[in-house]
Amino acid sequence: MAHLEPYGGDYFSFVLIGIAFSGYLMTALRSFSESIRGEQMMGTLEAMLVTPTDTSAIVTLSSLWSFIFMSFRVLMYLLIGILLGVDMSNANIFAALIILVLTIICFGSIGIISASFIMVLKRGDPINMFFMSTSELFGGVLFPISVLPEWLQTISHILPITYSLSGMRHALLQGYSLSALAPEIIALSIFSVVLVPLGLLSFTYAVKRAKMDGSLVQY
Amino acid sequence: MRYTIETCELTKKFGLQKGFTDFFLHPFRKDEITAVEEVNIKIEKGELFGILGPNGAGKTTLIKMLCTLILPSEGTAHINGYDLVKDSGKVRRSIGFITSDERSFYWRLTGRQNLKFFASLHNYYSNDAEVRIDELLSLVGLKDRADDEFLSYSAGMKQRMAIARGLLNDPAVLFMDEPTKALDPGAAQNLRGFIKEHIIGDEGKTVFLSTHNLPEAEELCDRIAIIDEGRIKVIGTLEGLKDALDKPDPGLNDVFLHYTGKEFKEVAPKRAYSGRRGVMRGFRGGRRGGLRF
Ligand SMILES: Nc1ncnc2c1ncn2[C@@H]1O[C@H](COP(=O)(O)OP(=O)(O)O)[C@@H](O)[C@H]1O
Ligand SMILES: [Mg+2]
Repeated sequence: MAHLEPYGGDYFSFVLIGIAFSGYLMTALRSFSESIRGEQMMGTLEAMLVTPTDTSAIVTLSSLWSFIFMSFRVLMYLLIGILLGVDMSNANIFAALIILVLTIICFGSIGIISASFIMVLKRGDPINMFFMSTSELFGGVLFPISVLPEWLQTISHILPITYSLSGMRHALLQGYSLSALAPEIIALSIFSVVLVPLGLLSFTYAVKRAKMDGSLVQY
Repeated sequence: MRYTIETCELTKKFGLQKGFTDFFLHPFRKDEITAVEEVNIKIEKGELFGILGPNGAGKTTLIKMLCTLILPSEGTAHINGYDLVKDSGKVRRSIGFITSDERSFYWRLTGRQNLKFFASLHNYYSNDAEVRIDELLSLVGLKDRADDEFLSYSAGMKQRMAIARGLLNDPAVLFMDEPTKALDPGAAQNLRGFIKEHIIGDEGKTVFLSTHNLPEAEELCDRIAIIDEGRIKVIGTLEGLKDALDKPDPGLNDVFLHYTGKEFKEVAPKRAYSGRRGVMRGFRGGRRGGLRF
């Protein structure tokens, strides 16, 4: 129980936020690679690539929809949570939005990196596998990471989701101020600064590889 | 810039995927297939240039290279004066690409919605786009069916949609990869009529068309290049090609035989890559479900 103390002490609220916002990571990991793979199979990717519009813009826009959809789901979760007695009366909405934007930027970049792997390897992509298998266990979705042995917590610390969820909980459940959220905001910003260029580079490289292999269209 | 399309020793080699055992037995051996080899062509503005060759000759690979969809292994090319690789963005702005691959549309959307989407990728929005799309729909004769789902179109209509899409950005150069491939003889004849009347009639457009159909090349093209096994065997006007033969009233068939040493016939691609096609057929059948038209 002491482990829940930093997040207000209530397990139901803890899990609610964990499940609601980890959905963004699943969406990111799924939607980018699915949209790219789908376009590749349908043959529409090629038709897009002969236009002057940048492919990464197209992919981003096409998965934007999934993020919007996901946001509705998250709102539903939160509303149901409130009806069931989760106390968000002193939530810091502004801080939560900042955390949310950083979260989407980080997760989106991871999704694009994963899509790049899919595009080149066609199947089984290691990025997706890594994040899918680790995030739930080590990212603090269902239980606070502090219950994990010390050495396993190191894994938690290299996962953006850890900071997203802890930031979200602090902002929504306890109404932390921006300065109190500095550790999470700084961590997520650092992830963003690394992941965004990495995402763009890997995607550019993936398109180039596909143009070398002649595999923009797949059957 | 003297030529609208100019290639210099343009070559494409594909690495072949290794089988599992090969991977371990010969880890450093590179299996390659040369799909297009040292192609040199010069095409002037306003020309309708045809490239004629059997299945697997390298036509699609050549066209896709010129459309920036496949990166060349060696050699260079300029389209509209822009370098194919260094200036690929500008190349894309000045070309239209028309595949015979009917899958390259969103089947659940209507024809008009499809065109709107691709127009937006060409940076045409709202009013501009609508006017342009209406023009193109009447040009290809699909105005009445524009608001039906793409999957309800016949093969000929799909192909005409592809033409409308290729013309969205009013390109100076139009690439058509076997435009009549999926059509029955009647529809193919109609489409050739359409190309002659509207696309060539449309002043100033340079058209680069591939075909594996002799009469089609004969009917449409100002100049013809014969391609076989990735190499251009000869380039010339139909008359020029025929004159070089010392045979009375030769057909393009004889021309083909003369320059390649082979009969022109429909042969399945004998080279290594035929595998995926089989898979594709199965996949398409599944995708279409019971719909056949
Ligand atoms: N992506 C690819 N990877 C490997 N080989 C390919 C690829 N695309 C085409 N080829 C091979 O290159 C040759 C030329 O193919 P293609 O350009 O499609 O011919 P055509 O369009 O004239 O029928 C064929 O032998 C084909 O199997
Ligand atoms: Mg072809």
